[in-house]
Amino acid sequence: MLEKIKEILAEELSLDLEEIGDDSDIREDLGADSLDMVQLVMSLEDEFGLEIENEEIQSVTTVRGIVEFIEKKRG
Amino acid sequence: MLFARGKKILGTAYPVIQGGMAWISEATLAAAVSEAGGLGVIAAGNAPFSFVREEIRKARKLTAKPLCVNVMLLSPYAEEVAHGLIDEDIEFIITGAGNPGKYMQAWKEAGKKVMPVVPSTALARRMEQSGADALIAEGTEAGGHIGEITTMALIPQVVDVVTIPVFAAGGIGDARGVLAAWMLGAEGVQVGTRFLLAHECQVHAHYKEKIIKAKDIDTVVTGRPTGHPVRVLKNPLAREFARREKEGCTPEELEELGAGTLCLAAQEGDTKNGSFMAGQIAGLLSQEQSCSQIIQDLYLGAEMLLAEKCRGENHG
Repeated sequence: MLEKIKEILAEELSLDLEEIGDDSDIREDLGADSLDMVQLVMSLEDEFGLEIENEEIQSVTTVRGIVEFIEKKRG
Repeated sequence: MLFARGKKILGTAYPVIQGGMAWISEATLAAAVSEAGGLGVIAAGNAPFSFVREEIRKARKLTAKPLCVNVMLLSPYAEEVAHGLIDEDIEFIITGAGNPGKYMQAWKEAGKKVMPVVPSTALARRMEQSGADALIAEGTEAGGHIGEITTMALIPQVVDVVTIPVFAAGGIGDARGVLAAWMLGAEGVQVGTRFLLAHECQVHAHYKEKIIKAKDIDTVVTGRPTGHPVRVLKNPLAREFARREKEGCTPEELEELGAGTLCLAAQEGDTKNGSFMAGQIAGLLSQEQSCSQIIQDLYLGAEMLLAEKCRGENHG
């Protein structure tokens, strides 16, 4: 799961996989702005077959945080 | 007939939306635009709902035609304005500077048509999923809060990923721009800067003078470090922004420098300390006209231009 999330981040934010650490801050370290976040949410929805509200993901800050968020959403 | 779908969704004679400009798009201008056959827009800007409600009521006394409010989602009052609008007598809500997803359901249930301003294809798709009735794809040529992509590049890309009508905004100031928007796949246009020069626009005379005097290279973008860049006309305040940004001023200091400066420009006409937001097309604009003249020149002008091109008159 962690690797899949990193792949999505690398794709959406035009980064190399090596630049993305488990605890990288998506906005501060990886430079995602609000439009990147919209794009990211849509990719996560497609990949995991989920519906994600934009507000839900606002409190998620790190790469590991995304994994936990997705796992929680899937129940 | 150009823009049939756009006119249908607006229910207006012309597919022209007047841009929501904070401190500028108030009841008199919005009502005049709607009366003239376009869609008049009251800008909520950073104002509390009580102000917005008063403007809606004033505009309603002046026109029975469709009206719209532009909700600026970065405003500290965005939440109260968003909720307040549910019970107001307006047909349309435009949103700017963010994602209005959380308000969408309540607005739709109240029968409002919602048209978010989008600066990217991802937000465009997202908004269609959330139930938006149409979109306004706005390029970086626009005045005020802006995105990165130009209108020329943005419109066809957005049009290709959604099925709802797309209105083009940013850099459109005359019939040529309107026809170009149509060629790119838009169903209508949103025009801001040109309506600053409407007789019915109550903005300070100095603001209008600055637009009329502006040349093509006279707008600059300030506030990039804050994450909310804004296009303004060059003046001492804009230069001060540039200087501080170069010095590495914090986003907070920049926000503070900008606070209240749009009001200074729009209401006091303070040419030194005011923030004169305007689009790149300001350089093209040279005369004050009525809303009716502006709208007809934009739309009927585009129809005439198309007919002319089809006849090949410009080839000789």
